[in-house]
Amino acid sequence: MTAYVFTKTLRDQRRALIAWSIGVTALVVVEGALWPSVRDMPNLDEFLAGYPDALKEAFNLAAMTTGTGFLNAELYTLVLPILFLVFGISRGARLVAGEEESGTLEVVLVTPVSTTRLLLEKAAGLLTALCLLGAVAGVSTLIASALFSMGVSPAGAAVGALSMMLLGLEYGFLALAVGAMTGRRSLAVGVPSVAAVAAYVLYVGGLMVDSLSGWLAWSPFHQALSEGPIASGLPFRYAWMVLAAVVVVAVAAPVFARRDIRAT
Amino acid sequence: MHPVVETQGLTKRFGPHLALDGIDLSIAAGEIFGYLGPNGAGKTTTIRILAGLLQPSAGRAAVLGLDVVRQRDLMQARLGYLPGNFVGYDDLSGEQYLRYLANLRGGVEWHVVVTMAKRLDLDLGRRIGVLSHGNRQKVGIVQALMHHPELVILDEPTTGLDPIIQREFLGLLADVRDAGGTVFLSSHILSEVEAVADRVGIIRDGRLVVVESVERLKHRAVRRMDLTFVGAPPLEVLSSVAGVREVTSSGSTAHLAVEGSTAKLLAVAAPHGIEQIVTHEPDLEEIFLAYYERTDRLA
Ligand SMILES: Nc1ncnc2c1ncn2[C@@H]1O[C@H](COP(=O)(O)OP(=O)(O)OP(=O)(O)O)[C@@H](O)[C@H]1O
Ligand SMILES: [Mg+2]
Repeated sequence: MTAYVFTKTLRDQRRALIAWSIGVTALVVVEGALWPSVRDMPNLDEFLAGYPDALKEAFNLAAMTTGTGFLNAELYTLVLPILFLVFGISRGARLVAGEEESGTLEVVLVTPVSTTRLLLEKAAGLLTALCLLGAVAGVSTLIASALFSMGVSPAGAAVGALSMMLLGLEYGFLALAVGAMTGRRSLAVGVPSVAAVAAYVLYVGGLMVDSLSGWLAWSPFHQALSEGPIASGLPFRYAWMVLAAVVVVAVAAPVFARRDIRAT
Repeated sequence: MHPVVETQGLTKRFGPHLALDGIDLSIAAGEIFGYLGPNGAGKTTTIRILAGLLQPSAGRAAVLGLDVVRQRDLMQARLGYLPGNFVGYDDLSGEQYLRYLANLRGGVEWHVVVTMAKRLDLDLGRRIGVLSHGNRQKVGIVQALMHHPELVILDEPTTGLDPIIQREFLGLLADVRDAGGTVFLSSHILSEVEAVADRVGIIRDGRLVVVESVERLKHRAVRRMDLTFVGAPPLEVLSSVAGVREVTSSGSTAHLAVEGSTAKLLAVAAPHGIEQIVTHEPDLEEIFLAYYERTDRLA
């Protein structure tokens, strides 16, 4: 399974992917198991009314009375996005910067494979891994829904999983791109992490502070999470995340091609 | 025909630090070239520019007639490269790793890999992560040679190899040359390069101090000789011959240190009745060090 940089990249993800899949599945099913008791709380509406407005909006708490709303609030607006971000960033940072720091990149680059082709094949490997993890999230959501009668539609689960996957992709590709531009794993982890926290602050801030609300649309968290993310339709906003992911890799490629490769 | 390696005014700066200062080098096909210099001289920097891993700050470099910056991938396809600090994937076996690189390169005949591994006494089935330092280095050597590259660049290739494997490795390099290939190898130990190289270049502080054939260097080297005479050695006569640096004696044997040709000395000594001549291989190390000192004095 190591014929191309792409398949090698996938091979390198396999253990992590299995472990993360188990973790995500367990998390979704355990969360789902809580649903029957939440649904049966006698005064859920009153309880929710006590929360601040911004919190209600950020976590879409008003919808907590349905299974979909419950999963959105409890999993898909914070915990799962963080998991996908951590997966995407940590894996993305390893692909070029990690290999460069460990020294294994040195020989691989002195082959007919160009830096750009290497970067693209590694990006494709990360994309595939994130698709698989996204599929695991979607399928386990449907399983949890069936087990605990949460009423999540397959389309809804697919859109929710896609939004998680795109968050992981945008910041994972940013990690890959920063790694390709600098060869430093610390930056490849640090830059996307700071960017994600900033985008999250902008998202929550935009919901609370009127003067920031105009900027809200720029936050990938807004693009990924508003109106769901488990929702019926496929929002056009997702295209911005795809675009951003493509742009960061496209910007990194010529820089990677022209910079010095760091020696170990 | 193009030289296989050609640099003109090759310069590399790392920030304010000048690592290479105008290197002009030309290496012809079928040559084994030894690149020598003390630690920090700029050997690795030169090699990594030639391999397409570093961008020159000024000047240019061409490998096999291809510019190392603008035609990098074409050039790299025809190059074999062993980094100074070779690192493979720890979780792959030697075979998995070499098959991966063979696939990226294309055109590798697997039996070549198997034969080479056997010659170097390398077990391809073991994970690279559990191999000893020397055995990892063997994996690096095989990946650099397995595709029969026209030029092989090796950065201190013998680190960690035991003497028997070292000899086997030098044999592999001679095979490359005999097949028409070219070898560029760096070292800071002269005796290692002397055995196999046709020419050596000595670099110091980023400048090429000398490029010379090993033969010529040896010719210029100080050679030690023992001449045993029938009677008492004619010490006065011997020490007056041009090129003789030192004369001592024990019994009927004169111990001499001679620079350059020994023909004249023998002509002068012969009438005195020579019983036996013992010549010791010239010590290139002395010349090598002399070049270092000379540049020291200039600096
Ligand atoms: N990335 C870098 N940044 C700054 N300085 C560097 C860098 N790489 C090399 N140098 C400096 O350039 C000079 C030449 O280094 P180089 O590694 O080429 O030496 P070398 O001849 O290979 O030495 P050695 O025998 O120790 O391997 C050294 O002074 C080194 O400190
Ligand atoms: Mg070096």
